[in-house]
Amino acid sequence: MFKLFASTALTLCLAGAASAETFKWAGTTDPQTMDPHAVNSAPVLGFLNNVYEGLVRRGKDMAVEPALATSWEPIGVGEGWRFNLRKGVKFHDGADFTAEDVLFSYQRASSEASDTRSWFAPVADVKVVDDYTVDILTSAPNPIFPDSIANWMMMDKGWAEANSTALPDKENGNYATLNANGTGAFMLKDRQPGLTTTLAPFDGWWDEAEHNITEAVFTPIDNPATAVAALLSGDVDMINPVPIQDAARVDERDGTKVIRGIEARVIMLGFGQDRDELKYTAMAGQPNPFKDARVREAVAKAINVDAILKTIMRGSAEPASQLVSPAMRGFSDALAARPAYDVAGAKALLAEAGYGDGFSFGLKCPNNRYLNDEAVCQAVTGMLAQVGIKAELDAMPVQNYWPELRADNFDMYLLGWSPGTFDHEHPVRFLVTTPNPEKKLGSWNFGGFSNARVDELLPMVQSEIDDGKRQAMMDEITSIYQSEHAYVPMYVQPLVWGAQDNIELTQRPDNFFILRWVTVN
Amino acid sequence: MLSYIIRRVLQSVLVLLIVGLVAFAMFTFMGDPIDNMLGQERTQEDVDRLRARLGLDQPFVVQYVKFILSALQGNFGVSYEQGRPVAQILAERAPATLELALVSGVFALGAGIVLGVFTAIRRNGFMAQMVMTISLVGVSLPTFLIGILLIYLFSVELDWLPSFGRGEVVDLGGWTTGFLTTSGLRALILPAITLGLYQMTLIMRLVRSQMLEVLRQDYVRFARARGLPERAVLFRHALKNTMVPVITVAGLQLGSIIAFAIITETVFQWPGVGLLFINAIQFVDIPVMAAYLMLISVMFVGINLLVDLLYVAIDPRLRT
Repeated sequence: MFKLFASTALTLCLAGAASAETFKWAGTTDPQTMDPHAVNSAPVLGFLNNVYEGLVRRGKDMAVEPALATSWEPIGVGEGWRFNLRKGVKFHDGADFTAEDVLFSYQRASSEASDTRSWFAPVADVKVVDDYTVDILTSAPNPIFPDSIANWMMMDKGWAEANSTALPDKENGNYATLNANGTGAFMLKDRQPGLTTTLAPFDGWWDEAEHNITEAVFTPIDNPATAVAALLSGDVDMINPVPIQDAARVDERDGTKVIRGIEARVIMLGFGQDRDELKYTAMAGQPNPFKDARVREAVAKAINVDAILKTIMRGSAEPASQLVSPAMRGFSDALAARPAYDVAGAKALLAEAGYGDGFSFGLKCPNNRYLNDEAVCQAVTGMLAQVGIKAELDAMPVQNYWPELRADNFDMYLLGWSPGTFDHEHPVRFLVTTPNPEKKLGSWNFGGFSNARVDELLPMVQSEIDDGKRQAMMDEITSIYQSEHAYVPMYVQPLVWGAQDNIELTQRPDNFFILRWVTVN
Repeated sequence: MLSYIIRRVLQSVLVLLIVGLVAFAMFTFMGDPIDNMLGQERTQEDVDRLRARLGLDQPFVVQYVKFILSALQGNFGVSYEQGRPVAQILAERAPATLELALVSGVFALGAGIVLGVFTAIRRNGFMAQMVMTISLVGVSLPTFLIGILLIYLFSVELDWLPSFGRGEVVDLGGWTTGFLTTSGLRALILPAITLGLYQMTLIMRLVRSQMLEVLRQDYVRFARARGLPERAVLFRHALKNTMVPVITVAGLQLGSIIAFAIITETVFQWPGVGLLFINAIQFVDIPVMAAYLMLISVMFVGINLLVDLLYVAIDPRLRT
């Protein structure tokens, strides 16, 4: 009986193995929509990068390379950019890709209904020169514009209008929420929201296919233990992420492997520094010590980042000195040193600032947003206690966390930032400039750090064409926020993916999983 | 009689309304859906505009009344996460949960009765003692752990059964079924056991104690005295009389099987309404959460109402 059962099971397994080119993978989050212009979130854009394409795309090393545009050059002195489009590109439904589609995709992606609108804030106008030439005019010189549009995906005007989906509709959905028609290497074959999404290679793709997949099936698996079991049992070929605590087990097991890398996301501590009083613990209402840069520096020195990385991140992550990782454009090579771990130095600074006897305050932390976020906050609490300041930790799910930060309910908080443009300017714009809703600056600068020189430098950085001058200004901004200790950057979050041994893939630092680089051996 | 029924129905409606109110009061503590819906680059203006459009700027009582009024017209709103009508999503997901509940119900009832009879007639036997001890473990381990253990044993180590999902399903005009494919049936085994284990133990213990009681009754003794074969005594006479309370309990438990499928569905990534609800909590997808909770409470209240009405039908004293 047992033999019969076992042999039946074996046969069924073999039957499953016969279609090995069907690639199955799992991730925690289902892409909310198949509409590339509706939502600006990593799961959606990462997934749709396999189906839709932009004028430019990012290669394996994150460098921008030609995609639907074969080349681009600046117009005049910082008036904008001219894009020369690739000829002979077809959409999945067979329609030709032309300049009209670029104009349409601009109008759609920059419309009121689109979440990707902010990408086009620098754009003044888009002009169709001829069928294969488009001019994108910017209101100020914008040297990094081509770098910032890798996720702006092209949609066919005719298809969108025929299916009355000329504008995205996030709240009620429309045809493009469940269907897709891009120019990318894969076509959307079947979409069942929250269950499975099936892709098939597009035979008419303009580029040479590197992969050998005949079908790709994505399943969201929320529960990390289930995802790991699915990988170990061979039910899926790849999972992202592998929980850090399971990584060693997946690696040691025959048949599966772990692929480690560094994500673009920097994890940091922020301070409520624009107000006079503390908000939490018995010290609530007392003068706010974090207004003093010496106290913030003491925090930076008190945190033993290496210990956090060794124990909580199990050696997968790298320390951070700035708000971006070294791989990002605009990183200051000259300022790559982190304040050394120095308990005595931290105590001396606190004493100098008049807090030799220590103080207590509230530390807010998410518990399901970043890898092991709550454990990191607990470690931070312990390390701060060693220099005599007592953090009262309050960890909560991310859906409660952002409203708390927005309502200014913290003394210190944990934040992770992944620069959407892969440029140092991005975190400076969102985290370091003085909050200014009208100019859309500092919208995530919850602590209210403010420095007139940074505010002055940012617009100059944004419009500087010369790379050397731009980097010099970026260096100055970096040295300001470092010496002021506006934030305490701790580490760059690791990427931990798991796959079967016979799978070859490329892990990109933006955590996008690009199917066209997958080979099943 | 009629007034009793009307009173009962009105009470049930009141319970439903209160459940909904409590649910909506709790949603205000669940966090803010807005951040999930807007990206990193959203402005405060976007946040305020979307909040006003979804009506989230209003007190929860107002939100609740709006929900009830449109639910009465059959409109459960649109999911924040998927941007599709909630009723449509629930209809897509319901077959998975109902099939799972059905199979685990059958498993719980079948295995529970067989093991219950077995442990009753061999009450001092070694195997019966073993079954009783193991069943104790089954009751005390949380569903989550049992599911993970089964997955590691049968999927990861032995590689006999799939570790997650529903396998291949066949669409029968709006109802997707896993009963018609091998992979669908294989996928059902582990989740059905996980979900039904608790109920099975419950039924087993119930059958056992009822059996032991019945076997002491005079009519069993007389049946034996008449020289009836032991099989007939046990199964025709004794078992039949133990079934009344068992059926009652099993019926009431069906509701909790569907409701508690949430955990099993999460562990096995089973694409049913329970998993949908868990996802909705993470996303703070209020329309989905509200519709699911109302549906489950309608089911529970409905079952209880039915039981009450059946009592009236059976017991003449309640009719006055």
